[in-house]
Amino acid sequence: MNDLDAALITFTQEAQELLDEMESSLLVLEDTPDDAEVINCVFRAMHTIKGSSGLFGFNHIVSFTHQAETVLDQVRDGSRQIDAQLISVLLDCRDHTARLLAYSLEYPEQPLEEELQRNGELLSECLTSAQSSAVKGQEKSDNIELESAPEGKSRADLSGNWLITLLFKKDAFRMGVDPLSFIRYLKTLGEIRALLLFDKAVPQGDEFDPESCYLHYKIAFSSEADKQQIEDVFEFAADDCEIKILAPSAKSVEYLALLEDLPEDETARLGEMLVKVGVLTVNDVARALHTQEHSQEESKPIGEILVEQNVIQSKIVEQAVKKQQQVKQKVSSESNYIRVDSTKLGHLINLVGELVISGAAMDLMIEKSGLDEAEEVSATMSSLVSNIRDTALELRMVPIGETFSRFRRVVRDVSKELGKNIDLEITGGETELDKTVVEKINDPLTHLIRNSLDHGIESPEQRLAAGKSEQGSIHLNAFHDSGHIVIQIVDDGAGLNKDKILEKAVAKGIVSEDANLSDQEIYNLIFAAGLSTKKQANDLSGRGVGMDVVRRNIEGLRGSVNIDSIEQQGTKITIQLPLTLAIIDGFMVGADGERYIIPLSMVEECVEMNEKEWQLDAVQNYVNLRGSAMPYLKLSEYFNPGKQFNKRARQSLVVVRVGKERAGFVVDELHGEQQTVIKPLGQIFENIEGLSGATVLGDGNVALILNVKSLINKVTVV
Amino acid sequence: MNDLSINKDQVRSHETAVIEQQGQYLTFLVADEALGIAINDVKEIIEITSITHVPMTPDYIRGVINLRGNVVPVVDLSARLGHQVSELSKRSCIVLVEVSCNDEKQSLGMLVDQVKEILDIPEDHIQPAPTFGTNIRVEFIQAMGRVEDEFIILLEISRVLSVSELAELSLMTAAEPAAVLA
Repeated sequence: MNDLDAALITFTQEAQELLDEMESSLLVLEDTPDDAEVINCVFRAMHTIKGSSGLFGFNHIVSFTHQAETVLDQVRDGSRQIDAQLISVLLDCRDHTARLLAYSLEYPEQPLEEELQRNGELLSECLTSAQSSAVKGQEKSDNIELESAPEGKSRADLSGNWLITLLFKKDAFRMGVDPLSFIRYLKTLGEIRALLLFDKAVPQGDEFDPESCYLHYKIAFSSEADKQQIEDVFEFAADDCEIKILAPSAKSVEYLALLEDLPEDETARLGEMLVKVGVLTVNDVARALHTQEHSQEESKPIGEILVEQNVIQSKIVEQAVKKQQQVKQKVSSESNYIRVDSTKLGHLINLVGELVISGAAMDLMIEKSGLDEAEEVSATMSSLVSNIRDTALELRMVPIGETFSRFRRVVRDVSKELGKNIDLEITGGETELDKTVVEKINDPLTHLIRNSLDHGIESPEQRLAAGKSEQGSIHLNAFHDSGHIVIQIVDDGAGLNKDKILEKAVAKGIVSEDANLSDQEIYNLIFAAGLSTKKQANDLSGRGVGMDVVRRNIEGLRGSVNIDSIEQQGTKITIQLPLTLAIIDGFMVGADGERYIIPLSMVEECVEMNEKEWQLDAVQNYVNLRGSAMPYLKLSEYFNPGKQFNKRARQSLVVVRVGKERAGFVVDELHGEQQTVIKPLGQIFENIEGLSGATVLGDGNVALILNVKSLINKVTVV
Repeated sequence: MNDLSINKDQVRSHETAVIEQQGQYLTFLVADEALGIAINDVKEIIEITSITHVPMTPDYIRGVINLRGNVVPVVDLSARLGHQVSELSKRSCIVLVEVSCNDEKQSLGMLVDQVKEILDIPEDHIQPAPTFGTNIRVEFIQAMGRVEDEFIILLEISRVLSVSELAELSLMTAAEPAAVLA
């Protein structure tokens, strides 16, 4: 991989992030169209993508984003109002940019596909047509600059000129300074358009000293020279004259652009930045700093002083300050985050897994050889190892909020398409889970949300008829619960129709007609393959192929999905997922000579199996545990059907809990806690219920990890 | 040469594989019968270690082993080919092969009674599998290799250890105990 390729990858990632940010910002703008910071965010996205695309020669992107940027710039300086229509167009622009990006990456240096081309033209038309509505304020900003000029001066034709203010000190003549000669010399650099002489400083009567200089000038000066050159004209007078040179307002646009393009590592100080782009000279800054130091009042920001001293337009200072903040933000965020290749992280976590296993092996060896001294060392080691394990896993933890907020767009687009009015509420976005889980949960979530949008929430008319508010709502929630993350999708729509589901399921032969099912079981039937109660399928959902895929995906992550519904009031879908797919705290038990791991987070308690004292219902497999009936499962019998077991002297009952469901596993031995590195069992065993993986123990043997959820289902169904 | 052309027609699907393999085969004993597989299919041969039994699987799935930190399923080749479950002895070995399934490579171990030798079998000594007369399912046989006066059955690994088939079969046995309980 050469440097450019690496840069290209960075560019793609950055562009993607910017586009995501732009999308969420635009959606925020729908609610608060006046938020300048958010508008800036959108602008910055387009601007940065334009700049970096140019770097790689993606001209399609440059020309398209330029148009969007232009419009956004107008929005930014207030000359154009942002409204719902414009936001829609901009969202489309964002999508188009994403497509352009994908296209340019795939077929660099090729002309655009016709469809993309047309789409782009269409969008630019939309952009410009909405533009005519408010171009008015555009010019007004250009005229303000000369307001500081003396009264009565005609402003109109001076905007392209430098404004030079010369305040000669009284001693100027005595020091041999001749104002006239400077002005004559100035003429060699350009043309003096207007010159004003101020006589206010000239004293009346006796106070007038012929040897003193009372001359104050303001000169409108047209020249190609830069500020430093103009200032150099007055170099010899610098001691005896206050010189202020204000750049022409026409040039301020240029300065603003220059400021924007300043490389970010060079923009440490405001003054330095301004000197660099040429709007100020070093002397200006020095004077301002001097003033700042000697001012009596509380120290003003240097930018304010510069504006007061009339050497710079306030607009430029604002821009510079903004730039400075951008740099600061960037620097601070850069110092807080490091971008790391996720494969490197994966490798680290694999290594930590190996470390955990070999740590367990070492513990075992030390125990065997009976080295008391080594035991203490190994105890310290294993606590360090488990710290490292947690930290390594934390590296991959990301908040789920980002995934959630992506659905704002889905909800917005789909509800527009369906003519529904739907609000998306998000809570618990800060809940963290493993990045690999986040990546895989996106598709199932999208499907479930689309389902809620399409089937769950009714049209506004139906809602009003049902006595609900016109606006439907979907609530996305996430929280942690006993080592799992729980994601809920709650809508206040029509709910599920039990009879319809059952009817369909019977028709499809999924359940037999005389099956006696609880409500919950009926609802969960919608996750069966080939079941859709919607009579008409559309491009969103309703084909009955999605929900079983959703369930399979979630179960593939060792998670579970559950659905609950009240007719006419809404539906609640609950997804439970493990926090990580790599390493868990396990609880090891023995049954029939094999060892099994139960995820520790699901273990509630372990009690000795006391068959004499407990009322054991061997037919129904229920046990009376402290007054409450609880289903139980004898692991060795369950896993070895048909094998005869002698009554064992001692057995233990491990009480496990998933969500609200509890059950007991009867085991022969309890081995205690065990850090467990989860290894996949492979496709051969994917159909075996009750097992979710395997792990390598310290002694090199393999132990199987129990899928508690499916085992509990087994006992409760039986 | 006439022989060869027939051979090529009938085992077309394995034609390229046979050429690449340059006729080298690993032979081993399973239920007192000598079998062979193409040497290029073999990843390594490992000593018997402790095998963890996986519940609710058919006989021929012996369990899983720890191979340098990875969990690898082991198939009892004898049981898979329709014989008895093999007894472990000092000479028992696990032949590690790699089969692909849905574009993914899966390592699998085959439990054999004894590993014998690596044989060079020239191409013209390789004949198509007979359609009857063996006690092994026909589709498991890739070809017959003639070594001196004996024939050795060369196994078609992708069929014998077809991941999707193994998974389906374990589904069937997994369903049984549930039915018993219900």
